[in-house]
Amino acid sequence: MVGSPVLLIAIPLLAAFVIPLIGMIWKELVRIIPGLVLAYMLILSATLLYYVSQNGIIVETIAGWQPPWGINLVFSPLTGFLATLMSALGFLVWLFSYRFKRNVDFEPAKKYFIFLMLLIAGAIGIVITGDIFNQFVFIEITGISAYALTAFYTGRNSAEASFKYLMMGALASSFLLVAIAILYSQLGTLNMADIASKMHTMNPTYKIIALIFFITGIGIEAEIFPLNGWAPDAYTEAPGPVGAAFAGIVVKAGVYAIIRMIFTLFDIPSAYDFLIVIGLITLIVAETSALRQEKLKRMLAYSSIGQMGLVIVAFGIGTHEGVFAALFLMLNHAVIKPLLFFSGSSLVFNSKEKQIAEMNGLGKRMPLMAAFFSLGAFAIVGLPPFAGFWSKLSVLSAAANEGLLLIIVLILIVSVIEIVYYFRVVNRIFFQEYSREKSAAPHRPRVNALVAMFVLAIAILVIGFYPDAVTGILHNASKDLLNTDEYINNVLQLGQSLTR
Amino acid sequence: MKKFLVILILAVLGFHLFAAFSGLGFGVTRFEKGVKDFYLEKTVSELHVANTVTSIVVNFRGFDTLGEVTVLFLAVSAMGGILYKRRHHAGDRSVLFSSSSIVRSGSKLLFPAIILLGVYIFIHGHLSPGGGFQGGAIIATGFLLMLIAYENFSVSHNTLSYIESFAGIFFVVIGLLGFMNGGTFLQNFLPAGILNNLFSGGVIGIIYVMVGFKVAAELTGLIYTILHEKD
Repeated sequence: MVGSPVLLIAIPLLAAFVIPLIGMIWKELVRIIPGLVLAYMLILSATLLYYVSQNGIIVETIAGWQPPWGINLVFSPLTGFLATLMSALGFLVWLFSYRFKRNVDFEPAKKYFIFLMLLIAGAIGIVITGDIFNQFVFIEITGISAYALTAFYTGRNSAEASFKYLMMGALASSFLLVAIAILYSQLGTLNMADIASKMHTMNPTYKIIALIFFITGIGIEAEIFPLNGWAPDAYTEAPGPVGAAFAGIVVKAGVYAIIRMIFTLFDIPSAYDFLIVIGLITLIVAETSALRQEKLKRMLAYSSIGQMGLVIVAFGIGTHEGVFAALFLMLNHAVIKPLLFFSGSSLVFNSKEKQIAEMNGLGKRMPLMAAFFSLGAFAIVGLPPFAGFWSKLSVLSAAANEGLLLIIVLILIVSVIEIVYYFRVVNRIFFQEYSREKSAAPHRPRVNALVAMFVLAIAILVIGFYPDAVTGILHNASKDLLNTDEYINNVLQLGQSLTR
Repeated sequence: MKKFLVILILAVLGFHLFAAFSGLGFGVTRFEKGVKDFYLEKTVSELHVANTVTSIVVNFRGFDTLGEVTVLFLAVSAMGGILYKRRHHAGDRSVLFSSSSIVRSGSKLLFPAIILLGVYIFIHGHLSPGGGFQGGAIIATGFLLMLIAYENFSVSHNTLSYIESFAGIFFVVIGLLGFMNGGTFLQNFLPAGILNNLFSGGVIGIIYVMVGFKVAAELTGLIYTILHEKD
């Protein structure tokens, strides 16, 4: 054991307070320390995930009080899988943006790395906590870092995007607080396992009202359809690597929170149907909007919303195959979308407007970036030898097992739309003529950025050619999510307790 | 028509929410169950803290407080980050108001008293109402008063950032010490002392003093940043 789950939160917070001091000594440390912290978090969560798969769930108490009195962290196959995924992506985002504003402007760069690190720590906190109010606190941490990163370029547009996000986020937080207040007033506890075990005693009216407040509150983070107005603006205005962090990390945390509520806390069966309906609407609206976009990052943002819709549909199926497919989709989206954001923002690096039309003929000028982008595009639409194929196939087979034909038809139609708008971009990159006036000037990415993209590209190929490398972990995780009784028992009786 | 529909939907939603909330019964029957009795009992018997609110905020739910402290830190940093460029170019205040000599001499008189009150409140956080957040806010109002009274009153940004960082580091380090000594993060590892003494409650008092310093430094920095914004 290299540590316990609480260090996944404590170490980044400590580092965030240390960085302003240490930046006064040597400015380079402001960049190095977040990387070391993220690398440590990656090693720690991967080791713990392995430990958990061998020995069962870790439940860690905080301040020495057992659940339901104290706050506790739950590191199970599901939460461990997500925490490992997030810290791995966080490390890659850090690697990609290592030279961000280097030798240009020290103060904003310092803030950037602090916000990025706390964004990742907050998202991991949302996933591993076992306490509903603690989850709210982590949602706040993630949210505020996200608003700050969106407003990073302090221009007119980014201020507008950030303000929009801030308003929606603030409203979401108050909704969450109302939901938590309702639960506490009825059950007198904030511990998730305790709430889940007492949920049947609650008046159904309050149950439904609390769930509605929850879904509205979290839905803003998870980009569900009517609540995702902030996303395209925020993705467009934030720095390139931050878009990757939003798509790969923040949204995953939001989806996890919704899923935990519906699968574990609330025993309302019709909530699954709600997930399917809302997911399908999100999917269709987002993908058709993506078709009309002129700007690259906006298109990627809508595509990301659509993928989350598909994930929610897969969760809504509710069977083991459904949950497995949803987690597989989450994994693939977390690997592919950052590659698209990284290579895409390198391709349009020198353009002001970041229009898709400016990518004409860049395939000959920047062959490697163009290859990465098309690899990502092929993988995300689900072409066979790449990663996305297996997850889409598993969604379809999960839906087929339940006889949900309409869903299959809609997913296939939407996939065609997806192919159209991604291939439109690939076509421009490779088969249009480069023109000095209209196209963006080529930009040579640095070594650190190349390494980050190589790692993601290799991950896509590995998952694509040898999906068995990850399916074992995913099957464990989906078993863990569906087994509510075991979750409750483990927490309330401190399964693998770390109380020492 | 559209407005009418919106009002109608809001009215229906409002009615249902009101019906639900009026039936919730905050403070009655249902509140007899749950975790609260445990808190009330353990605060006195094990933690030896006179103020139950403090024991819940700093010990039982100390992890949340660490999170909230981070939220404040983030909000202040974000504010500084967004206003950074403007503040950098202009050294002067953006808001200037001439204050009368009554305000000037009055605030000079009040300033030490306000600081003293703030410090008193966060040092006695585990004994009397209030604590780190409240005491810190009071100290920040003292600085606000001085900034209003004197146009050339200045606070060193570096000092504020030292205080802020060190207070945060101490909070996490105390948590980690509990992790190494007692077994879990933020666990009390010092002797609990005698109820109602100043030195009681182990780490609770120390953590709240740290929170007090941190909140005071951050709110003061926030006020200072806003006053010196210029466009």
